[in-house]
Amino acid sequence: MEPGLAGRLSRVLAGWHPRRWRDRYGEELLDVLDQHQASARTVASLAASVLSTHADPAYRADRLSPARLRGAVLVSAAVAGPIVLVLGLLLGMAARLDRPHLSGAGGVNGVAFAHGQRLLVSAVGGPGEDNMDTLWDITDPARPRQLSAFWGGNPTALSPDGRVVATVAPGFQPALWNVANPRRPARAAVMQTGDGTAMWGEAFSPGGRILAAAYTDRIFLWDVASTARPRLLRTLAVSVPQVDNGPSASPYGIAFSPDGRILASVTGTGHVSVWNVTDPARAARVATLTGPRDFIQSIAFSPRGNLLAGVTYHGHVLVFSLAGPARPALTATISGILADARYPDGRLHHPDAPPCPLCSPASYAVAFTPDGRTLTVVVDRQEADVIPTYSNVSRDTVFTWNVTSSGALSGRTIAVSDVKDIQPTLAPDGRTVASGSPNSNAVYLWMPR
Amino acid sequence: MHGKFDGLGRFADPSLLLLTSLADGPKHGYAIMTDIAAFSGVQMEPGTLYGALARLERRGWVRPLGTAGRRRPYEITAAGQEILAEQVTTMQRIVRVARLRTATAWGA
Repeated sequence: MEPGLAGRLSRVLAGWHPRRWRDRYGEELLDVLDQHQASARTVASLAASVLSTHADPAYRADRLSPARLRGAVLVSAAVAGPIVLVLGLLLGMAARLDRPHLSGAGGVNGVAFAHGQRLLVSAVGGPGEDNMDTLWDITDPARPRQLSAFWGGNPTALSPDGRVVATVAPGFQPALWNVANPRRPARAAVMQTGDGTAMWGEAFSPGGRILAAAYTDRIFLWDVASTARPRLLRTLAVSVPQVDNGPSASPYGIAFSPDGRILASVTGTGHVSVWNVTDPARAARVATLTGPRDFIQSIAFSPRGNLLAGVTYHGHVLVFSLAGPARPALTATISGILADARYPDGRLHHPDAPPCPLCSPASYAVAFTPDGRTLTVVVDRQEADVIPTYSNVSRDTVFTWNVTSSGALSGRTIAVSDVKDIQPTLAPDGRTVASGSPNSNAVYLWMPR
Repeated sequence: MHGKFDGLGRFADPSLLLLTSLADGPKHGYAIMTDIAAFSGVQMEPGTLYGALARLERRGWVRPLGTAGRRRPYEITAAGQEILAEQVTTMQRIVRVARLRTATAWGA
């Protein structure tokens, strides 16, 4: 059964319950139906519910009209009968007919890719809340398929093989969700970190065995080879000062090098710490990268791992050479990109932009293309209102540069798109931008031209 | 064997799943459905969920809390916790016997 038809039928059947039942449960049921991907099973369950509630003495005073009674019986017979015989076939068809589920409150606050850019997980809600996460098959980005939805917390990372989602459970504890069967996500573990300070980032090692979770004062390294029994390997002491709109808003300040031997994390104003995690149980800081005195919001390794790019709150693009991780060198600094990343109304400075000098005037994403020859930076500037949820549109400006093997940048290009998002994310191809809607669970995938 | 779940008929399983879901704190309808799917793999449909919720509420095993918009969280009552504990004990006894008997069968 086509999901749209199943949804409409379900709502009709919800209205056929006895009046007293509707007065008590009607609104809640409609709220559930708004979030639930209706199928033939949903219709069958509601048809059965209509019949059983009308047969229930507690609601019998409110009799179903003969026409509706016949209708409910017919729906039950038409749907519940065949379903017993061809349930598997119907579910298979429904899966193929799935369409993105665009309702949902709050807005997309986290997006992660995996599996050669074939799987995407997005979360609606704020960090540490009871978020609804949605798994999408984006093998054909023009026809995304919703695989499942679960209340998992803000997802900040998806294991490279696409089998595990790392989320932030309420209380800022990291949680692992087993999505090996993406249609049936199951919570595998919640790790205890001891206190409720804000977690601002999680990253899987390239092999998927190690999960790094970054807090304001510590980075935890877990062995997650067994998702049901994660093992704490090491706790690294760091200091990430919190500012309004600060690192807690960005899950993109921590990254493993492609060979998994180096972990880089934003650890203070203008600093990125470089850790040797070859043996995670003995991980140690090997260097601190220093840029302008400005928070680095987003970082990314080049595919060979010899370069690390970062972008700061006020739009400085930095490239460090990590050819010798213990002796890093700043190889490129591009400043002033915000002058070309205007607000949707074309203004450069907006009177309603955040007044706090430490606050970020934009959200950023940074990534290299898989050939390592191009660096992409996305700058997202919100409309007048500083609360993104109320913003009707934001402007994403996408910058690219050619990158030399030594880390020099040249040949800038700019593309602009007015979209509706809170925090842009770059896909593994370093070109496709994922923009999460601020007021639904829609994710827009687009490619700058 | 007669128990307090008698009379719930085919709703016995959804009721048990629902009480288990609420055992770690209040949840609203959709959160209950996703939680049950997560811990048991059972995809409970809205019609089944509200059928079971209404019956459990009538028996005083769950109670509604104040609404938050269109959502209404439910919590398990002391009586609900008691009945859940009873059910779990019964199930554990069945599992013990089943394990014992299958072990005997294999060892034979």
